[in-house]
Amino acid sequence: MLLKHDSRDPALAQRLLLSLVALALAWPIGHIAGVNPAALVEPANLRVVGSFVAGFWPLAHDSFFLGLLGDAVVQTLAIATVGTLLALLIAIPLAVGSTAALSITAIGPAPRSLWRPAFRQALRALTLLLRGVPELVWALLFVRVFGLGPSAAVLALALTYGGMLAKVFSEILDSADRRPARAILTAGGSRFDALMYGLLPVAAAELLSYSVYRWECALRAAVVMGLVGAGGLGQLMDQSMKAFNGGEIASILSAFLLLVLFADMLSGVLRHWMASTRAGGLRAAGGWMLTLSAAFACVLAWRHIGLDLGALLGDRAGSDIARFLREFLPPAHDAALLTKIASGAIETLATSLVGTVLAALIAIALALPAAGRAGKIAKSLTRFLLNLLRAVPELVWATITVLAAGLGPFAGALALALHTGGVLGRLYAEALENAPPAAEASLHASGAPRALAFLYGALPEVAPQWLAYTLYRWEINIRMAAVMGFVGAGGLGQLLYYELSLFRLDNACSVIVAMLILALLVDQASAILRRKMG
Amino acid sequence: MLTQFRRHALRGLAAFAFAALALPAFAQMKELKVSAIPDEAPTELQRKFAPLGKYLEKEIGIPVSFVPVTDYAGVVEALAAKRIDMAWLGGFTFVQAKLRTGGTAVPLVQRAEDEKFTSRFITADPAIKSFADLKGKTFAFGSASSTSGHLMPRYFLLQAGLTPEKDFKTVAFSGAHDATVAFVASGRADAGVLNASVWDKLVESGKVDTSKVRVFTTTPAYFDYNWTVRGDLDPAVMKKLRDAFLKLDPANPEHKEIMALQRATRFVPTKPENYHSIEQAAQSAGLLR
Repeated sequence: MLLKHDSRDPALAQRLLLSLVALALAWPIGHIAGVNPAALVEPANLRVVGSFVAGFWPLAHDSFFLGLLGDAVVQTLAIATVGTLLALLIAIPLAVGSTAALSITAIGPAPRSLWRPAFRQALRALTLLLRGVPELVWALLFVRVFGLGPSAAVLALALTYGGMLAKVFSEILDSADRRPARAILTAGGSRFDALMYGLLPVAAAELLSYSVYRWECALRAAVVMGLVGAGGLGQLMDQSMKAFNGGEIASILSAFLLLVLFADMLSGVLRHWMASTRAGGLRAAGGWMLTLSAAFACVLAWRHIGLDLGALLGDRAGSDIARFLREFLPPAHDAALLTKIASGAIETLATSLVGTVLAALIAIALALPAAGRAGKIAKSLTRFLLNLLRAVPELVWATITVLAAGLGPFAGALALALHTGGVLGRLYAEALENAPPAAEASLHASGAPRALAFLYGALPEVAPQWLAYTLYRWEINIRMAAVMGFVGAGGLGQLLYYELSLFRLDNACSVIVAMLILALLVDQASAILRRKMG
Repeated sequence: MLTQFRRHALRGLAAFAFAALALPAFAQMKELKVSAIPDEAPTELQRKFAPLGKYLEKEIGIPVSFVPVTDYAGVVEALAAKRIDMAWLGGFTFVQAKLRTGGTAVPLVQRAEDEKFTSRFITADPAIKSFADLKGKTFAFGSASSTSGHLMPRYFLLQAGLTPEKDFKTVAFSGAHDATVAFVASGRADAGVLNASVWDKLVESGKVDTSKVRVFTTTPAYFDYNWTVRGDLDPAVMKKLRDAFLKLDPANPEHKEIMALQRATRFVPTKPENYHSIEQAAQSAGLLR
């Protein structure tokens, strides 16, 4: 019955060609990333993973361990909160300084100024540098400069998230309604007046909402940074992983999932509440209560971390930082190192590609049931699965996939695929639910089988969006792939960790520069691809 | 918060005043901070340290606290930055600490066992019988900063004419000694190398299937672990610490538990010269420059 009426596929030649090109590219990339699906079903490996997972039960619950776990949860919460606060302190001046919404020259005839646009560009470059270096790399460096424990994680979050927040804040300000600010400026008001009374009132809700969302992300990041010795749940996790203590790992994972769920809910409630009171402004009933309790939580978090800014910026720290920078700069560039970096970079790139493609496959497979195409039960089950997949950060997945697939890039690619699959699956499903159903319905009504009606009716509607999401995730994955090596998954991360372990800081600096360049190249490639498709 | 800040500011000022007057005085220590390289699970390290910490506290008359760490190099850096006062270091991490403190770090004592430490090369592949059979195989070291899990095995491999990065198919770092065994046992890596003491412990406790995983060669002996203090520690405290370790006696039931947890028959004095050969090995293996 399939294709009985007309077996011609108008797009056949083009699609076939595209598939062949993709396959031709996939082979070498897969080879570099060490793709070896057979390893996953080898009895020996299955036994290792099996016995590892079997050790998950019973959960570790002796009072000593639960005490450690409780402390770690509180510390992780505190790290995320203080880190986000400091990030806001960095982001707000950067964003205000680099937004074009407060530009007087942009309004109309005004004395031409050369340094102001240059200043804005410099701030943007700083923003790019801050967020271009993954927080894990900052954490690794800060653990060295400022010592072990949560301070390193807080500062790392402050820098990377400061950069991210600054970028998004300035975008929000740029795209906000500029008329009130402009009116104030043209009436002779100062930039400060224009910001406070013209720009902020229209953008405040969105700015706050995004900050809350970032806090939620910071919580996950805080866990991951623990894996390099920066305190919290991650540090505990690393300890239990090294001891192969399944019961402890299971307890930590459960605590972590509960924490993420809690943050997810809290962030959802807060953002919903902000959206609903947008009209009334933040002065609406409860606004003060919320502000006060948030402030109280921040103070508690600050006290818990005991971030010793005095000591960090004290006399000793200055010479510590100077010594570190002297060893760190200039980056080394001998031929042997560059060869190692090049092969590490290729491995990292391949890992990110394989991980993203596998994630897209997982996402497609799960998006259909998650969009309710296989009944209600299947829908809730796959939604739960997707939430689970995306709740566990890539690096935590990696500590498990390393057991299943062995040390090396394939384990990293799998870890990326699992987490990203969860993220993309949800986005794909939402796109599918929101797509106009007309085309598919009419194809189906005119006798096309369901599969074909989907392929030619629904898929073209959602494909551009799916692709855009996937490319966007690729940009994130190249950064994650770069640090995956910290847990034994090869690439630039392994090289960085190795050089840092041997105190060859100038070599480490070169590796970080390579990570930055690679991430920027992928950003560019992704942007070009998205533009071509959009 | 404010008072805390003020206190730190005051403390900073006081420190500055001391430095300015160039007083050769050692401020009365309030606490001895101790750490250890994470060659085993850090929770295990804390458990092992608890009775020793109590004993030292009693002997030196200052509170002793343990700072858990997950990164070898982090311990070295913390000692160099004076964030910790004493650390349990491996031979290679001691050399790194010595270089990073400008030669001032003082190795106090080591276990009698550490004077003739060895590493064991293990495999689950029946075809591997000697170094020569390792060509083209995947190989797992422990941590890159480990003496018995990386430096000395690499040194002996190089002496046998094998360059890991050239002659092995892949070189992986498992991160810790027990992890290396798990990777070899599962065929993750064709062969690996680890600390003889950890291997023996795993075999004794039945945590490794010796019918599958076997030792195919053991390295010659070298100096390994020691307890190191930062060089500018009050000499009186340093002496008390050294004496406390040397006084430990397995015949004393109270000491017996401490010694058993440290896997030591007795502690002996050690000196920087003991680690010259490790430093040379690190240089010739290209891990130092």
